[in-house]
Amino acid sequence: MAQQRVIVVGGGLAGLAACIRIAEAGHTIDLFSLVPVKRSHSVCAQGGINACNEVARQQGYSEYEHFDETIYGGDFLADQHPVLEMANWAPKIIDLLDRMGVPFNRSAEGFRDLRLFGGSLFKRTHFSGATTGQQLIYALDEQVRKLEAEGKVTKYESWEFLAPVLTDEPRCVGIVAQDLRTMQTRAFRGDAVVMATGGAGMVFGKSTNSVICTGAALSRCYQAGVAYANPEMTQVHPTAIPGADKLRLMSESARGEGGRIWVPRKQGDTRPATQIPEAERLYFLEEKYPDYGNIVPRDIATREIFDICVNQGMGINGENQVYLDLTHMDPDYLTSKLGGIMEIYEKFVGDDPRHEPMKIFPGVHYSMGGLWTQYVRGNYAPSEPQPAHVSGTTPACDTEVGRGMLLGAPTNMMTNIEGLYAFGEVNFAFHGANRLGANALLSCIFDGLFSGVSVANYLDNGTPSTAPAESISAGVFEQAVAAEDAKLKAIFETATGGEASDETNPYIIGREMGEEMTAAATVVREEARLEQCRGKIAELRDRCTRLKLADGATWTNQALSYARSLGDMLVIAEAMVSGAVLRQESRGAHYRSDYPDRDDERFYKHTYAMFDHGTGNARIEHIPVQADLVAPRARTYGEVTEDDENETTTPETASAGA
Amino acid sequence: MTASTAATANGTTSSAGNAPAQADRTINFRIKRCDGPGKPSRWETFAVPVGRGANVISCLQQIAARPVTTEGTRTTPVVWDANCLEEVCGACTMVINGKVRQSCSALIDTIAPREGDTVSLEPMTKFPIIRDLWVDRARIFDNLKRVKAWVPIDGTYALGPGPRESADSQTTRYILSTCMTCGCCMEACPQFLIAENEHEWETAFIGAQAISQARLFNMHGTGKQLKGDRLDALMGPGGITDCGNAQNCVQVCPKEIPLTESIGVIGRAATVHAIASWFSGR
Amino acid sequence: MADTDGFLERHHFLLRRLHSLTGIAPISLFLMFHLTTNASIVWGRLAGHDGLTGADAAVGTFQHEVNFIHSMPMLLLIEIFGLWLPIGFHAVLGVAYALGGKNNTTQYAYQANRRYALQRLSGYFGFLFIFYHVATLRWGWTFLVPGGTQWTGEHAASTMAAAIRGSAEGFTAAGMIVAIFYMVGVSLLVFHLANGLWTSAITWGLTTTEQAQKRWGHVCTAIGAGLMLAAWSSVIGFATLDYDAARAVELGLQGAEHAPEPASEVMPGMAAKEIDETETGG
Repeated sequence: MAQQRVIVVGGGLAGLAACIRIAEAGHTIDLFSLVPVKRSHSVCAQGGINACNEVARQQGYSEYEHFDETIYGGDFLADQHPVLEMANWAPKIIDLLDRMGVPFNRSAEGFRDLRLFGGSLFKRTHFSGATTGQQLIYALDEQVRKLEAEGKVTKYESWEFLAPVLTDEPRCVGIVAQDLRTMQTRAFRGDAVVMATGGAGMVFGKSTNSVICTGAALSRCYQAGVAYANPEMTQVHPTAIPGADKLRLMSESARGEGGRIWVPRKQGDTRPATQIPEAERLYFLEEKYPDYGNIVPRDIATREIFDICVNQGMGINGENQVYLDLTHMDPDYLTSKLGGIMEIYEKFVGDDPRHEPMKIFPGVHYSMGGLWTQYVRGNYAPSEPQPAHVSGTTPACDTEVGRGMLLGAPTNMMTNIEGLYAFGEVNFAFHGANRLGANALLSCIFDGLFSGVSVANYLDNGTPSTAPAESISAGVFEQAVAAEDAKLKAIFETATGGEASDETNPYIIGREMGEEMTAAATVVREEARLEQCRGKIAELRDRCTRLKLADGATWTNQALSYARSLGDMLVIAEAMVSGAVLRQESRGAHYRSDYPDRDDERFYKHTYAMFDHGTGNARIEHIPVQADLVAPRARTYGEVTEDDENETTTPETASAGA
Repeated sequence: MTASTAATANGTTSSAGNAPAQADRTINFRIKRCDGPGKPSRWETFAVPVGRGANVISCLQQIAARPVTTEGTRTTPVVWDANCLEEVCGACTMVINGKVRQSCSALIDTIAPREGDTVSLEPMTKFPIIRDLWVDRARIFDNLKRVKAWVPIDGTYALGPGPRESADSQTTRYILSTCMTCGCCMEACPQFLIAENEHEWETAFIGAQAISQARLFNMHGTGKQLKGDRLDALMGPGGITDCGNAQNCVQVCPKEIPLTESIGVIGRAATVHAIASWFSGR
Repeated sequence: MADTDGFLERHHFLLRRLHSLTGIAPISLFLMFHLTTNASIVWGRLAGHDGLTGADAAVGTFQHEVNFIHSMPMLLLIEIFGLWLPIGFHAVLGVAYALGGKNNTTQYAYQANRRYALQRLSGYFGFLFIFYHVATLRWGWTFLVPGGTQWTGEHAASTMAAAIRGSAEGFTAAGMIVAIFYMVGVSLLVFHLANGLWTSAITWGLTTTEQAQKRWGHVCTAIGAGLMLAAWSSVIGFATLDYDAARAVELGLQGAEHAPEPASEVMPGMAAKEIDETETGG
């Protein structure tokens, strides 16, 4: 049999975890990444990684509750079986990372330390300072380096994925990629292709994302016929520090460790924060959510901060910012638990957050939406969806592997195109309409480890076992390369002749896209404004067809790469906005001021977008959420409303865990 | 809570994130440019309007959008390497005003505080140039293979937790483990020289980074199984002995990793290893 | 690893450590001893010697010590294997290693980096100086000595004074250069020794923490300061020696310690005569 190869696109946590698992199953991998994999965006994750643990378990927590929290946190938009399996695997994943040498913070006795995180009343977040993502990806990177040294993984770093290569069936048999230094394009054969290309924050211009998080790879798959699910679901993180080039994340762990959000009670109070007495501070999250306080899920915290600043004009000095205050805590404790973000704030703002409250504002952070994927259900099948899980009671199901998903089923996390998988942030599964803090690292690694087995099984038993990519006629690949070369040539040729203007400048078009998307499609959305945004995107796409490249070099032409990505970003921007227009309800991160309530009647459904080559826009249907395990319930997080000051929805046993 | 948030028809106020402060002064960027390997270098100067909070990256972004020099010549956007922009990925390292550092954390208010100040940008000199400010640091990653910078695990099947570890040990390992492979320690090291050809890498000085990573993995309960291999590698040509103790590495490390302590620790381990090997006949 | 290539590669670690070791012992130990001995030309004033006082006592003490050394059995063998070969080895390898680095003190003007650069400079210069010192005084290459003075063990202080002043009578212009050369040479060697001691503690892994390196740095500074004092007082002591008085003391000592030999009367006289001739001739 010809040597089978797997192509993994993206070297973040999901891609690296996939490499490790697929190589372990005996297959050879070609790993593609825009940057050296160790510099992938996963390094930016700060707070930690969630998993049920022995301490929490003895306080009444369980894997099942982790699952329940994730579904509730995501406002019931996630298919439930995969989430259950992920929660069940979480403790094993932590153990594995521990074995790989991740320096998880330790308790006095030498056990892994834990912290509180958004959306839970139990300490179930494992962490490594405030640079957990960095530490996790380094551990996986090291394992992949070992595999590389053993010849099982070949890295193509500084290569850009341009398109999947599909047969007529269609089946994915490889990719076209370009070396960003030599600008050479070529096809690579692969019996399976794993997309692990992360989120699309750059569509919003400034976000907490890294510059490579353009969503261009997702867009190219989408344009090739892969379904794009829940494109409208973009998480806006409540606490970021604004900067000239990006918004820098201030981890949720700052609040998990005790950080408090407040503004001066008196509007326009110009006193420095340290001179405002306790009584004159408005801790608006704590007042409104007595149970969860500052650790309500991100979409809620974001809207509350937004409301305080934009609607009530209570922001510090009338500006769009609130205090994130850690000054009541021991500076040494802060350094040991949150050193990484303390340093970022100090370096980029210049104040020491141990002594000065930080000034923060929400920023675009995570794409819950992504490529649509399928899975095979596990053996847990309650006769009817369960009500809310009560902490301390027996979980509705055990943690046996295969309860949520069938391990090794070849179609797990495969897109609608055979042989093309989506892992990690680019996969729409797991987080629904809002992601809980510290669940992203988990979902990325889980995807790689769990569904990596599926990829291996697909190679061993699926179509590639009888018709390997090696046997596909060269013409298919040549055609795919020719198509990409033609696109590149068209952009490249704009570099000659004519004067550049803002109208046709790709960087200006990109900036306008970011500003427009941020303005219309983030915290608060509304039909007319979304439609206006859709118009703007159409205008930008039109300008994009006439763009002028400032660089005609045939070597390391970054302007060309940017211009090409820009066109692809605009394609998914349209899908994001269209999805938001059609979802006439408010759910999780998607808040429509014209439809402020969740509408399970009409929208207990995924947005399922297919690229229409005729119009160049999304063709959207809504497909039901697979929700047989937990019944939907109102998502209040114990909010105290003005009419109901005494409402408590959290069971007593839960507070024991806090 | 949803009812309390009113609609904001005016899009400009419904946004997340703040607009940057308005530009209030202009500074000059002197950038050393090079079209590719083997091509000659040239300097180009750009005037860039900056506001509060601007950094070298935001200025390079402005130059990319309007690549016109102070002489009014239209040129190409400057090529540079960047990713996270918050000093954890290590990508955007370059020589700024003569010293190596990350360009994302180089705030204009600090490095060029007055109107008309000049900031010079050059590519790192110890790594082969790709174009303009982008250099090829593959050698650093190769060095990690030289010292087997990984924990040899049995595989990914569930085999329980890793070794227990004291909080002190974790604290030491964590600091070492924040190394983002940026190359500052090598750029500033007088003993670390450029090696254009891959075959030279094996015997050229490995630099403080890999030495410190060897220490990190030697400290781990399972990682120490490869301690002998790591020390053997570091005791050969280009290893620990090639350190000249100029200690620039620790001065320029953006993560304040105690690199010179790692060098001492590995020096000690090498001494012990050499004596032990001699007596045990290996 | 390319460890099987050649002798140098296979024994890389050993050679490096021997280089470090020879620097400490015997070279540093010898230099400490040598400088203390020479400094007796000054501190000997305090001690007194066989009824002599003041400067005469110093000359006496010094002469006594030189006699002691010269009375050692197999002196030449000790010199060759204990000094010249180790120094040659340390120097040749040192130069080879130093050529593998590239100073960058302009960009990175950190104190440790300056010491790194100075360590190499002092190595080059120090080796030249030692060569000159040994060749002229020990091997009798008097053609390199202004005035052509032949240093002799019997007239240790006086001939030394004449050799670094250019004549028995006092400073000549060329002699002044030699004296300055001596001053700079010994200073750099003392620095090289003290800084070498400091870096070797890291190399061997004795000082692994920043704190320990700092502490050992204080010790090395103290050692350096003490030796510097000895070195400077030696050079100044010889440069300002009263030639005639010293000669008288030396002759007196010979009378006291040995049976007067005719040759001993002639030898110094000849040397002095030669000086006179060159003086008048030049």
